[in-house]
Amino acid sequence: MLFTSLEFFAFLPLVMLLFSAMPVTQRWAVLLLASYLFYGIWQPFNLVYLGAVTLVVYGCGWALERAPRPAIRKALLGTGLVALLGSLVAFKFYDFIAGELERSFASTFPIVLPKLGVSTPVGYSFYAFSASSYLIDVYARRLSGSHHPGHIAIYVAYFPKIFAGPIERATAFLPQMVAGLRGDPGRAIWGLQLIGWGLFKKVVIADNLAPLVDRNFGIVAFASPIELLISVYFFAFQIYCDFSGYTDIAIGISLLFGIQLMENFRRPYLSRSTAEFWGERWHISLGRWFRDYLYIPLGGSRSGLLRRYLNIMLVFVVSGLWHAGLGYGVGWTFLIWGALNGAYQWAGLATRGLWERLGGLLPALRQSAALALVRILLTFHLIAISWIFFRAKSVSDALTVVRKIGTNLLEIPSLLVQYPFTAEHGMGFGLIVLLLAVEALDERRPLVQRLAAAPAVLRWGSYYLVIFGLLILGRWQAKEFIYMQF
Amino acid sequence: MTRQGRTAIAFIGIGLLIYAGVYLVAERLVYRNGHSNPFFKIATTEVKAFDWVILGASHAMPLDFADFNGQMQSETGLKIINLASPGTGPLYNRFVLEAFLRGHTAKNVLYVADSFAFYSRTWNEDRFGDAKLLRATPCDPATAWLLLQYSRREGIDWRAVADYVTGFSKINNRERFQKDVWEGELQFDRVYRPSAAAVKSRIAYLFSDSGREAALARYMTEFAKLLELAERRNVRVVVIKMPTPGQFRALLPNEAAFYEAMTAAVANRGIGFNNFSAELDEPHFYFDTDHLNRVGVTELFARHLKAILMAPVN
Repeated sequence: MLFTSLEFFAFLPLVMLLFSAMPVTQRWAVLLLASYLFYGIWQPFNLVYLGAVTLVVYGCGWALERAPRPAIRKALLGTGLVALLGSLVAFKFYDFIAGELERSFASTFPIVLPKLGVSTPVGYSFYAFSASSYLIDVYARRLSGSHHPGHIAIYVAYFPKIFAGPIERATAFLPQMVAGLRGDPGRAIWGLQLIGWGLFKKVVIADNLAPLVDRNFGIVAFASPIELLISVYFFAFQIYCDFSGYTDIAIGISLLFGIQLMENFRRPYLSRSTAEFWGERWHISLGRWFRDYLYIPLGGSRSGLLRRYLNIMLVFVVSGLWHAGLGYGVGWTFLIWGALNGAYQWAGLATRGLWERLGGLLPALRQSAALALVRILLTFHLIAISWIFFRAKSVSDALTVVRKIGTNLLEIPSLLVQYPFTAEHGMGFGLIVLLLAVEALDERRPLVQRLAAAPAVLRWGSYYLVIFGLLILGRWQAKEFIYMQF
Repeated sequence: MTRQGRTAIAFIGIGLLIYAGVYLVAERLVYRNGHSNPFFKIATTEVKAFDWVILGASHAMPLDFADFNGQMQSETGLKIINLASPGTGPLYNRFVLEAFLRGHTAKNVLYVADSFAFYSRTWNEDRFGDAKLLRATPCDPATAWLLLQYSRREGIDWRAVADYVTGFSKINNRERFQKDVWEGELQFDRVYRPSAAAVKSRIAYLFSDSGREAALARYMTEFAKLLELAERRNVRVVVIKMPTPGQFRALLPNEAAFYEAMTAAVANRGIGFNNFSAELDEPHFYFDTDHLNRVGVTELFARHLKAILMAPVN
């Protein structure tokens, strides 16, 4: 079931009604049932995968809690992680690797390898990661492994986050189940604001940018440099609005049930460096997962400079692989995308000292708004270049886009003047400007606070603008969320 | 009532008022930009009694492209209204005819039959929910009631009814400022350059579903209901099949079964079935893979249609 479907708009109030009719301590059961319905209605067989993950995580967690010897505990953790992450790798890559091997040996030693023939169950990348974090936290004794099985089940299956996160930590989620779920009007209003804005980002901004992006990335060989350039910019905002729209809705729905999910996006295109982008603003829950469960265990930044560089690259390459299988297929492009972002971190790390010295010499420059703007623009463009590899159908398509734009950079101003812009372009740029204006306001002071302090006319006016923006400009028959297609 | 309750009611009330305003603007735009939608034609025609109503899918539409319907009317002296709609099968055609006969009369129906429209629910039940059709259909309580009945009787998705009643597709219309012209009409004077790939992809698009035998039986029943409706209202029906290029015809699947079923359906009622499929083979009669252009319809009219339209009612 999609957040943007009519069925969901009937489903949610029904769940809320049932939820409020239940005693506080048993409300998780309503959410669990609703989650299975929400997930199973998409494809009932997926419930088998969800059930298997729940059993693995509960069983291993239970055993970890009781196992006294470190070796047994290690083995239990290893078993759980192999089951969860191994299956994820198999779902994502087995058929791809088998196909690549067959292709490589086709001329010399033709082979036919057996194929799984199944795609990754929807949302699996997200709930397998959530489940893994639970096991690691129990192993590290940050969390007790003797939680109620129902609570573990709802942690894995909780419907607002099952398709595209946030990759919530059990350390934050489970105590809320134990304490009992209570909705309150203040949180509900905040939740509704987030749902409205999330829907706006998805169906108005992302889905109105998508057709143009799809058209040009579909035929990069025939698209002009200007068309490709516009598509690259549009895609940067499409993917942001699509994904952050989903998580805004997820967080908003959770607030209606009195559940607080973690923040997943913090105005990423206002980042002043790629390190800030990945570390603090974009897909925060995944970034923290990689930091806590991969980067730090590998030694992080405390094990020498060379090792630190290697660790950074490894994290980004693995992150690239994690993103493979998204709506744009499984391919080498994701590896390059990850490596490119890793290289950005290397460059940032290598030049950090230089910038700090320069900032020390010219403190006025460090404080200047112009420099901040330049840094924001530079960061945005670096990220946008990496998105080309994320979006393109193949490495050769991505290189074609880079080459076409790169070799025509000097002619871009004159090409722009001649380009026959349409109303579709105008609307796309207008929506991006609106988004950036809202985000810039939010950056200075949270919009939630601004709205709460604003006179009713302004507050209600902005609500009606969002609601009627959704009705008038939304593309409701459009696509599912990009990150759901994992 | 609590303060929160009053606030919620005020918020919803103001929202409904704005919605009503937006709805009215959207409805005005439907009338301003309306052109080829059958319900728009029904709502805006000043004529109450017609000699001929033309029904069918897109192959019937060129008979109303540009000024061709006016040309046919002036040459025959008859009142003709073309209520064909792209990609619509007998179920949708019956719905249109039923809506038309509520406020108008007709002596004859010229039904332009297309086999693809009898082979899938895509061209029947699902068409009722198509935003492109809904957004150009003017608001009319009687049409809403009829649509509700079709939803209950014929299994039309309830969302189509909800969409029509709330005017959602009109409010949400991305082409709200453009004239409602089917893209084919803009190519009416074009001449088609044959392309095997284009024909293949067109056939694949029209005949995408499997389980065609069961579908044919189902939609022949719907067609029989359309004939019964016409019979009850003393409307004579003539069925024709429009010409299509040989390259297109050769790829049509299950055509013999369709022809057999259609012949049987009309023969029982003494209805004429004129198969003009092979009448105009040359590409210069078409603007695309299978639709007649101006030269094509002019030729067909001169060769056959004029005689059919002017034939005296028995």
